[in-house]
Amino acid sequence: MEGWFISITAAILIFVGLAIVFGLLLGYAAIRFKVEGNPMAEQIDKVLPQTQCGQCTFPGCKPYAEALAKGETEVNLCVPGGTDTMILISEITGLEPKEMENTEAEHKPKETAFIDEDVCIGCVLCIKACPVDAILGATKLMHTVIQSECTGCDKCAPVCPVDCIDMRPPSVSIDNWQWPEPKTKLESSLEITLKQNSNLLIKNQKGEIK
Amino acid sequence: MSPLTPQSSPLSSPFAHNNQSVRQLMFKVQLAVIPALLVHIYLFGFGIVIQWVLAFATLLVVEFTMLKLRNRPVRPFITDMSAMITATVLVFCIPAGAPWWIIVSGTAFALIFGKHIYGGLGYNPFNPAMLGYAFLLLSFPVQMTQWTAPTEILDYAVSFTNSLHLIFTGNLPQAALGANLDMISAATPLSQLQIGLTQGQGVTESLTPIALEAQTHYQNGSVINGFFYSTAQFFSLNSWAWVNVAFLIGGLWLLAVRAIRWQYPVGFLSSLSLISFIFYTIDPNTYPPVDFMLLSGGTMLAAFFIITDPVTSSTTPKGRFIFACGIGILVYVIRTWGIFPDGITFAVLLMNIAVPLIDQYTQPRVYGHK
Amino acid sequence: MNATFMHTFIRPLAILYPMAKRWLHRFHGGVFPQTYKSLSLKHPIKSTPIPERLILPVKQLSGQKVAWHVAVGDTVQKNQCLVRAAKENKKGIIVPIHAPTSGVIHAIEMRPLPHPSGLNALSIIIKPDFKDSALNNALNVNGEVPETPQQLKDILLNAGIVGLGGAGFPTFAKLPNQTGIINTLIMNGAECEPFITCDDVLMQTHAQDILKGAVMIAQILGIPSIICGIEENKPAAIQAMNAAAKRLTKKTSQINITIQTLPAVYPMGGEKQLIQELTGIEIPAKTHAIDSGLLVFNVATFAAIFKAITLGEPLTQRLVTVAGLGLKHSYNTYALLGTPFLTLANAGQPTHSIQDPLIMGGPMMGFQVADNHVPVIKTTNCILVQPPKPATEIMVMPCIRCGECMDACPVNLLPQQMFWHSQAHEFDKVEKLNIFDCIECGCCSYVCPSHIPLVQFYRHAKSEIKHNHAEQQAAELAKQRHEFRLARIEREKQEREARIKAKKAAVKKQAQKPSDASSAKSAAMKAAAARAAAKRATQQESKQEIEQSAQADEISQNSPPPLSARQKAIDTAKKQAAAKVGSKVAPNKDPRTSAKQAAKKAAAMAAAKRRAQTSLKNDSNVTAPKTEAKTDSNANPTQTTEHSKQTMNDKRTQAMEAAKKRAAERKAQQESP
Repeated sequence: MEGWFISITAAILIFVGLAIVFGLLLGYAAIRFKVEGNPMAEQIDKVLPQTQCGQCTFPGCKPYAEALAKGETEVNLCVPGGTDTMILISEITGLEPKEMENTEAEHKPKETAFIDEDVCIGCVLCIKACPVDAILGATKLMHTVIQSECTGCDKCAPVCPVDCIDMRPPSVSIDNWQWPEPKTKLESSLEITLKQNSNLLIKNQKGEIK
Repeated sequence: MSPLTPQSSPLSSPFAHNNQSVRQLMFKVQLAVIPALLVHIYLFGFGIVIQWVLAFATLLVVEFTMLKLRNRPVRPFITDMSAMITATVLVFCIPAGAPWWIIVSGTAFALIFGKHIYGGLGYNPFNPAMLGYAFLLLSFPVQMTQWTAPTEILDYAVSFTNSLHLIFTGNLPQAALGANLDMISAATPLSQLQIGLTQGQGVTESLTPIALEAQTHYQNGSVINGFFYSTAQFFSLNSWAWVNVAFLIGGLWLLAVRAIRWQYPVGFLSSLSLISFIFYTIDPNTYPPVDFMLLSGGTMLAAFFIITDPVTSSTTPKGRFIFACGIGILVYVIRTWGIFPDGITFAVLLMNIAVPLIDQYTQPRVYGHK
Repeated sequence: MNATFMHTFIRPLAILYPMAKRWLHRFHGGVFPQTYKSLSLKHPIKSTPIPERLILPVKQLSGQKVAWHVAVGDTVQKNQCLVRAAKENKKGIIVPIHAPTSGVIHAIEMRPLPHPSGLNALSIIIKPDFKDSALNNALNVNGEVPETPQQLKDILLNAGIVGLGGAGFPTFAKLPNQTGIINTLIMNGAECEPFITCDDVLMQTHAQDILKGAVMIAQILGIPSIICGIEENKPAAIQAMNAAAKRLTKKTSQINITIQTLPAVYPMGGEKQLIQELTGIEIPAKTHAIDSGLLVFNVATFAAIFKAITLGEPLTQRLVTVAGLGLKHSYNTYALLGTPFLTLANAGQPTHSIQDPLIMGGPMMGFQVADNHVPVIKTTNCILVQPPKPATEIMVMPCIRCGECMDACPVNLLPQQMFWHSQAHEFDKVEKLNIFDCIECGCCSYVCPSHIPLVQFYRHAKSEIKHNHAEQQAAELAKQRHEFRLARIEREKQEREARIKAKKAAVKKQAQKPSDASSAKSAAMKAAAARAAAKRATQQESKQEIEQSAQADEISQNSPPPLSARQKAIDTAKKQAAAKVGSKVAPNKDPRTSAKQAAKKAAAMAAAKRRAQTSLKNDSNVTAPKTEAKTDSNANPTQTTEHSKQTMNDKRTQAMEAAKKRAAERKAQQESP
């Protein structure tokens, strides 16, 4: 009779009550523990390599970051950043990671521009092209690149009318020499090991090494 | 690769080594089970040898196939002996008279799903042997609980051919005393205890038959029987306890040669002793004594051979201790209140899951960081 | 628990459980490699002949200049200074190099360095004349103990003394400037690396010198106590040092000298490990021993200091152990700096002709040299000919997380966690595991049953982390510069718009005026144009010519083609100045003549200004012309009307001519020196 009605009402009430309680809790938590994060564009801008190369077709890193934040473009356009940056971007934006189109450029070491000072005619075209004002010079005077500020964006090389700009890797010195990574990614190490073992075996047969 | 790496790659120091290798380490562990193996053969017959040979054959086939499939060089990995340890532990875990396909499927499962699918040696999160055992226990509960009775209960040893017959046909040959399967299998002390307790008997009552069997069996006879008799009488050591003692001896040797770390056995045994002591003191009639806990089931096997697997256990010193203590407590909990007579398998697997967390919070203090 | 009890208890235990030896020392971990020290101790110090060529690499650091005291072809005497840090270096940590023997500077060229990279460095090649004629007291000392730390530091710098233990940090730079900062001077005689015995031999033969050197430093810096730590496997050295200490204590009672025997464990000779063992002090991370009031030097460094202070002898030779399993006759020798490795190795009667790369340093921390002809340098304590080969196999297996490395690590790191993350290229995590506290001692690799080259992973990770940090900084800089550039372009755009507006307004105003001064109107327009150009030009100059490209085309319409942007800017500035002057004078006099005079005057003034500007080009003129330009542009419309009657053409040509002359003059000046 009324039993079923009471039980249904009770159930509904309980669930409505629970919904209200949890809703309030969640709402409170959202206010109380609000994360004052950077706006997305700024976060993205932080992970971009800041070469300002424009290979993403945007005029610099920040415009690309802004476009990404608005969701107007793809995540895989940053060539110098490579896959690592693409993954970071997709993490920030929540967009689906996409394969890089140009993977060969990814592991290209960072290079900086060098101006062949004998050939330079002082046309200032490269100065105009440089996104970070790293080229010094004046009309009809020789130009030079401030190495420490060059991002290696390669924007100056194509505009040079006499082709006097080279992209070169930085020279290795004791200060910046790096220990190479050991080759113990299993396969290569085992190749070495097997070779060494066979060498040892040969030596053993000759009785040179116990 | 960084951009500044020149073409040639220099070899880094050190140019010296203490000449230890993974294979040697595994070989030591393998050596350390020999006392237990001998005791097992003496007390339970040759079943275990047949099981062991089966396991070894399986592991050779499985390892070879898996390494080939994974496109890895076979020789260095098949000779690293790590699969041997897995197989050996599994052999000791299953009943010696279990059908052949038990150990074969168990070993195969342990190696394939416990090790190779995770990337082989060094990459598996769970102890392969325990994973294999859990698989067997859940899939074939009947076969996995038909434990071969020790000679002290049977009064005779199951011969090699009889064991062979039993393992491959599932029955004893008719000629063999006309015995059937039930006659040579018996409950282990742990299951005996569990059955006794569920039937409302006390701990002492449930365990008395086993102790008496041993005493009566060794009463007459040779010197060695006399030895077992006196231990059975004075220390109430039954056959299962003897196997445990043998594992303990092997384990102590492993400790001395640094094949295993002290934190595992010490943490495991002390936490197990402590918790069983506490409950035994509270109610000696419901909870078994400490010595029974330490010397029954696979306690010592676990303490020195199972939980010491470095790959799946915690790596920091503190973490190892916590890991071992956790297993000790879980073993007691599962043995006492769980439905399985021995809880080592699940205790180990549960603690394997906790390893990353333990590692995270037990990092040692680095020099100079106060 | 006292030490002797520990020893009597643990020694026998170590037979059963070898790793019990780890309980004998205070720092964590450590390993006990076979020492092979008797190989080179069997023989007395061997004298080796002067080699055919000496190669002295000149240490070069970015941003540090060196001053050359010799050139190719010069004849030098032993101990003569060849090259030293240039005076303008503010923070010089380059020590001078002296000739190890007399001879001729054969060449100054690139030669491979004794460095794991095998890179080349500029080196001085000396062709010895085998007379070995030396400068006496090359450092010009009076033989007495210097009184102030500064004097001591000067001597040590001039003597070219660096830490001879291995790191090679200049000794003078390590010393404090005041007395009383250091409370304990620690002498490192541990020499824990296998094969190396040069410190052992030095202590046996020159105990007195070493201790005297230490006492001198202690006296100068006001250090009350000296502790010398020597590993127990060097009984002869301990005995010699004890005897010398006894003799010295009689003379200098205020300084407390202790010779302490240390358990033999690798890496006891690590600075932090030795300090912990001797004093119990743990140097906090990212600080140096000196911050805890401790000063640590290798025993060989003390001997070199003694020689420099008393005899005025710079560091030109050092005791080197030449040892290895590939030699029949391992030995110690006083090697001249610059002696090629191979020469020394061949003197030890190699069992096979030496094909494999030699190792500089011991087997635990040494490195393979890329070329066996690299020279002995100040930090070369050992030339290792053949390290012990692994007994059975070399097989790199996967890590089984056994934790041996962690138990062996003297710094209590988690080597295998660092390895996992390094292998996965998660360098931020590696950094969090304190990889920069790793001393690269090699204990972890030594004990690894999987034979993983852990140390190389850490070295690689360290350089990657450093590289990443540098890149982050570069990216930040690039970002700032790019943003600045964008802001600048934006500002320029606005300014141009403002100017155009102003110009339009002026034109309008002009149009409204009665047409009686049609010629004046055109003049005014021209003046306005000139002003605009001037403004633009000055602005450009102020921004240091980086940006003028943006408007270069515009300007090129106004000025003659051969002039550079800078010249254009100057030129317009002059015009502007002239105009100003002209405007002041104009109301009183006949406009034409006054304008001419004004222009001349202005040109002269502008020239003067320009000279001043060129001298201060880099910074001072950045702001000045700019502000001028601004005020000018504000006044622009009114001025335009005032100058309406002047003819700007004349002024302009004159100013241009003046500027051209000036430019020619400048060019001539530049070319003449």
